[in-house]
Amino acid sequence: MSFWNNKFGDDFMDRSYLIENYKDMNLYDDIDKNLDVLKALLKQSSDIIFREFRIGEKKVKAFLICVDGLVDKALINNNIIEPITLETRKLDGNALTKKSVYESLLNYFITTADIKEEEKIGDIIDSLLDGDTPLIVDGVRKSIIISTRGWEQRSISESTTEAVVRGPKEAFVETLRVNTSMLRRRIKNPNFIIESLKVGKYTKTNVAIAYIKDVAKDEVVEEVKNRLNKIDIDGIVDSGYLEEMIEDNPFSPFPQIEHSERPDKIAAELLEGRVAIISDGSPEVLVVPTIFVQFFQSAEDYYERYYISTLFRILRLAAMLMSLTLPSIYVAAVTYHQEMIPSPLAISIAAQREGVPFTTLMEAFLMEFFFEILREAGIRLPMQVGQAVSIVGALVIGQAAVQAGLVSAATVIVVALTGIASFSIPAFNIAITFRLLRFAMLVVGGTLGFFGIIMALMMILAHLASLESFGVPYLSPLAPSNTRELNDVFIRIPWWAKIFRPHKVAGQNVKRQNYSRS
Amino acid sequence: MKKVLSLLIILSLLLTGCWDKREINELSFVQGIGMDIDKDKMCNITVQVLKPANLATSSGGGGGGAAAGKPYEVYSSRGVDFAKAFANFNTELSRTLFLQHNEIIFIGENLARSGIYSMLDFITRNPEFRRTSYLVVVTGGTLDDLMKLSKNVEKYPYKEILGMIQNQRNTSSGYVCDVNHFVETLETEEVQPIVGRLEIVKKDGKPQHARFVGAAAFKYDKMIGFLSEEQTKGIMWMDNFIKNTSLVIDKGPKGDKTHITFTVIKAKSSITPKVNGDDVSFDVKINFESNMTEQDAVYNLTELKMIKSLEDLQEQKVKSEIEDALNAIQKKYKVDSIGFGQKLQEKYPKVWEKIKDRWNEIYPNVKINVSVKASLKRSGLTSKPIQPR
Repeated sequence: MSFWNNKFGDDFMDRSYLIENYKDMNLYDDIDKNLDVLKALLKQSSDIIFREFRIGEKKVKAFLICVDGLVDKALINNNIIEPITLETRKLDGNALTKKSVYESLLNYFITTADIKEEEKIGDIIDSLLDGDTPLIVDGVRKSIIISTRGWEQRSISESTTEAVVRGPKEAFVETLRVNTSMLRRRIKNPNFIIESLKVGKYTKTNVAIAYIKDVAKDEVVEEVKNRLNKIDIDGIVDSGYLEEMIEDNPFSPFPQIEHSERPDKIAAELLEGRVAIISDGSPEVLVVPTIFVQFFQSAEDYYERYYISTLFRILRLAAMLMSLTLPSIYVAAVTYHQEMIPSPLAISIAAQREGVPFTTLMEAFLMEFFFEILREAGIRLPMQVGQAVSIVGALVIGQAAVQAGLVSAATVIVVALTGIASFSIPAFNIAITFRLLRFAMLVVGGTLGFFGIIMALMMILAHLASLESFGVPYLSPLAPSNTRELNDVFIRIPWWAKIFRPHKVAGQNVKRQNYSRS
Repeated sequence: MKKVLSLLIILSLLLTGCWDKREINELSFVQGIGMDIDKDKMCNITVQVLKPANLATSSGGGGGGAAAGKPYEVYSSRGVDFAKAFANFNTELSRTLFLQHNEIIFIGENLARSGIYSMLDFITRNPEFRRTSYLVVVTGGTLDDLMKLSKNVEKYPYKEILGMIQNQRNTSSGYVCDVNHFVETLETEEVQPIVGRLEIVKKDGKPQHARFVGAAAFKYDKMIGFLSEEQTKGIMWMDNFIKNTSLVIDKGPKGDKTHITFTVIKAKSSITPKVNGDDVSFDVKINFESNMTEQDAVYNLTELKMIKSLEDLQEQKVKSEIEDALNAIQKKYKVDSIGFGQKLQEKYPKVWEKIKDRWNEIYPNVKINVSVKASLKRSGLTSKPIQPR
């Protein structure tokens, strides 16, 4: 590239050299040089806009760069270009130096709230790609970075995966700033801190760590930062990536980090002393430390009357057990422990199974398999077709299969009940874990009977007890047990009685309120 | 090495599976099993096997369509002992007999008279028999007759009889004994078992229905005689088995002939041994509460005196039932079915040690004082009877 060498002398280099080194390069005095470097780096992309103009009577050269689509163009026109091009003519031409032009731009002419200065080309490009607009003036080795972010985004809408009857309806969106604003609106305290960092070599995803200082444990905050900083991946597309990268036991089938798209839920968790991890581009916010019972607490529990919330909670735990064990218990009872079934039921099942060609285990397995196919198809298919599939599916695996004598009605009932039970668990991620384990349980129940089921349950329990999430035992407050905190596990005590935060989570500052009605 | 070891452990757990796997539709559910011996001292077993497809109410289940026939089948088998007879079923059945849903064991009269020890041994040894199965002595017909009774509210005879037993349990109208209880009494020193007695009712020589008539008194494992319904009642009074039963007296307070029925709601008995030198006697005390359910005559129950005299009548009635029962077991059969000896042993072990060996001779002549205390609690919805004018 002789062109570069001729024009700028031997300290200048070609594009591949730039790509490698631009991060640590400073701006040059010469604006043309700056322009050429930035153009060499960015001009290939069609969405990058370079706007050159001159300032004042001395016609000082300046340019700004922005990314089309990421910036609010009206803001750039009205608050940057218009004042600079129209107003700077009034400057006294003779007294001006290049330096004072820069200063007056910074201090007087640019009329937006959020500006900062950067010297390194790498930082300038990072801000540019985040949606900011760098403005570079001839003769100054600094750039004014004007925050002009404004892109098309999904508007805040009702939560679809965690719908409630009573409680706030809004859900997080894909834009980090909107999400943090929703939290900030709920917690108005200087101690509520939102720190941010970037993860991903290419995506440079903004990740925010939100916590309430004094309430959250410092060690947990530090640990979250440490683990996030250790991530060295090309990109983060969804918070799911982060979850898998930072969870304690990467091989466990159980999710060890809870996520939610409800700002009210996240705010409540922050108040309990947890740390939220918000990833740009994902409406699901992660919360650590997470304990097992959190997955069975719905946001609504805390808004409805506590009696009914308690009932629902017990119902959900029962549904969890059902979704895990019902098919295996059925198969084990029918093939090994017929004496445990009440006589009329045993006779009825025997009558239904008369002529069924498969063993009970095979039958249950097939039905579970078909049910999973139906469920998967229901998600994938376009909404208009989805309904048709579910009707046909229900008819085929329900009515028709029984009438054709392929499966027994009891098996269909068991599989259907199990399916419904698994959908009543509020957290989808733990519901699918149980769905997965259900197949293992089914095989164990069908080969070893109740003995096997108990063995498998003990293994699952032992595994759960061995898990930890950011220093908090997964099964707490059940194991290690803490009777004081059991008030938010099987039951939900009224708010006026909830005086303490979970002490394993909050650590130093456990008292929530001084007022109590009891 | 560690991995191999853990793999072996896991395999040893998993490979044990399936060995006792039986699909539920490959079993023949036995509900009702009867045992007897015949003249050649051969053991007979009669079973009622259900046909689930004929029992099910739903049209589905593969079998559907065919006209529902009899929901059960009766099979009999013969052998030198009960285990052999049971094994012989395999020669004629397509499915293995499944006993775990059987709750009644019928004992034929011949077997009961010659001793049921071998039968008890067989059923307590086999894990498939429920130890809570009811024991019933069948009289008035063969076991085969019993299994084929035609008059049923339920779908098959076994269910009918099971319902009768449970009904009796609730209303204390007959003596109900299960295997556990029988074995327990058999193994307790000087208490003799009693088993409920089921009589087959025949019409024109054909078995039609069955009803419980009193009980059978056993000496050790051998039946030695029957007890009438009244006598059975008397035994149940003493054994604390009475609850919710009805009590009929057939004369009024002034000696007039009438019928008054009471329902006993609560009863308690206590048996206290008394020792006076070498002389042993027992006090049987019964306290019970009752409600009036029906009367023929016109008694005004708002009068305290009337209540008192009705209580007296009930006491007399219960006392006569008890004395009747005592007469039968103590004087006629000479068996200690109530366990007077046991009571004596509990309270005066030293005295018992002395007379233990002679108890069989002493017992028939022991004096037993019966005292009954009744209290009439309620008279139903009417306190003054309907008075036709």
